[in-house]
Amino acid sequence: MPVVTARFVDNAWRRSCDFVIIDLEDSVPHHLKAHARTLVKDAIAKVSKGGAEAFVRINHDSMEEDVEASVWPGLKRIRYPKTEHAHEVHRLDALITRYEGARGVEPGTIEIDPSIETALGVANIFEIAAASARIREFGAATGGYDLSRDLGIEMFVDFDQFVYPRGEAELAARTLGLGVRTAPFVANTTGSVSDADRALRQAEAARKCGLRLGTGGLNPAVVENHNLGLTPTEEELRDAQWVLEQYRVVEESGAAWKTIGERVIDRYEAARAKELLEWAAACAERNREKAEAVARVKAQA
Amino acid sequence: MTDEITEGGAAGAPSKRQSWLIVPPSKRDEIEQAARSGADVLVLDLVELLPDREKSSARNVFRDAIAVAKAAGAEVFAQIDPSSAETDLRACVWPGLAGVVISRAESAAQVGEIGTLLDRLEMERGIAGGTVHLVAALETAQGNHAAHDILHASHRMFGATLGRADLVMDLRPEPSGEIHLMAYLMQRLIIITGTVGVTPLGAWWRAPDRGLLATPENTYNAAHRGRAIGFKGAMCLRPEQVEPLNRAFSG
Repeated sequence: MPVVTARFVDNAWRRSCDFVIIDLEDSVPHHLKAHARTLVKDAIAKVSKGGAEAFVRINHDSMEEDVEASVWPGLKRIRYPKTEHAHEVHRLDALITRYEGARGVEPGTIEIDPSIETALGVANIFEIAAASARIREFGAATGGYDLSRDLGIEMFVDFDQFVYPRGEAELAARTLGLGVRTAPFVANTTGSVSDADRALRQAEAARKCGLRLGTGGLNPAVVENHNLGLTPTEEELRDAQWVLEQYRVVEESGAAWKTIGERVIDRYEAARAKELLEWAAACAERNREKAEAVARVKAQA
Repeated sequence: MTDEITEGGAAGAPSKRQSWLIVPPSKRDEIEQAARSGADVLVLDLVELLPDREKSSARNVFRDAIAVAKAAGAEVFAQIDPSSAETDLRACVWPGLAGVVISRAESAAQVGEIGTLLDRLEMERGIAGGTVHLVAALETAQGNHAAHDILHASHRMFGATLGRADLVMDLRPEPSGEIHLMAYLMQRLIIITGTVGVTPLGAWWRAPDRGLLATPENTYNAAHRGRAIGFKGAMCLRPEQVEPLNRAFSG
């Protein structure tokens, strides 16, 4: 959200988001950039009081001023747009380190999320993803508007036009053991950013693919369905428990696998079932955290 | 990757290795049935199809299993676990073994060590030096990332496959029916095997196929699509998948 729009910043905590991206980049007009920087410190505190993590998206070409304006207690991550070289990430890392020290933030805690939004960024993707220990998740913007502009790729089509750059991002993330922030292809032929039904389909597709990190949205109308779609259903949880029971039987029989109707029960299915149950528990825990944070704010009001 | 890209690959490889059927070495009746399936290659597997407690008995019968598998004319490969490479290779490298599939191959160093073990075992056991081939199964992110170096690491390298990457990397179907990330990984593998000069093995599986398992009809369709993007043969897990693989990749 644009940091210069007060009503967005003031109400973000009510949206039940897991993270809020405070934007200094594309949603802030050029003549307001300097003013925007003065608002970041307060915005971090405001958007995170409902339990969300606060991220700041800085500008590629004003890294120094933007980092100086953004590194405050409560900041979780800096998103760096249009990353093209590992040395840019090294420079960002050093700047963050300097301000962490100066501002009483625990060293090394602020993360970097380098966005890959140009052809050159894709070409250097592994070196970029490996460039800092502050990078813990990777891939968010690969396949977004900026990459489509850089390469002349159409954005709203009914097939997966970003197979290669997204694949490069995900392979780099997985090779380096980073969290994979990506989404399976779900057509968006209208270009709407507030279509809650589509948001639900997108999040459900991600969940069924085993992806656990949402890629975010541009309108509060999609938040609830992103949360809902990424959370396992009761039916899935029952199925996971059934798979684990069946796998215990397989193990006791001394076999490596068996089939039940169309289903294969083996160590891979058992691992997926176990992961799903753990993910459901993590979702419940996160919802509790957010509910407690909201309750605290309301009690103080 | 700073190496200059050069041609490589196993010399004198036979031309027809299109259908590869993976079989547990400990089950004689399954090997006999597999040998009648028409598979070009039987892969006697010490990794995927056996529970851990059966692995040592499977190693003990491996030499006999080669003979049973070869009886119907198929070539025999062994699939080994790189974390027990020496034990597995001692059990499986005997006259009659055509090659070794390295499951979850992850580095050039690993392939180099396996090559050195093969040099020694060939000499000890009366096998012509350098004749046991290798196939790298790139089933992990690390293995795919290092694909070029892995495939360049031995003159024995015949080919590469993604094996059961969909299960090992936990890649699941997208709404389109494509298995997440596989379109990218398949094309990447085909380009890299092309630069190194080794054979890409695989089929373009779609939901509900998983881990090389599919109905005969889906197997045919997957192999047909696979051939269309450059694969030269594929692996499977059931005897009834062999005929559709042969049909799709030959002719």
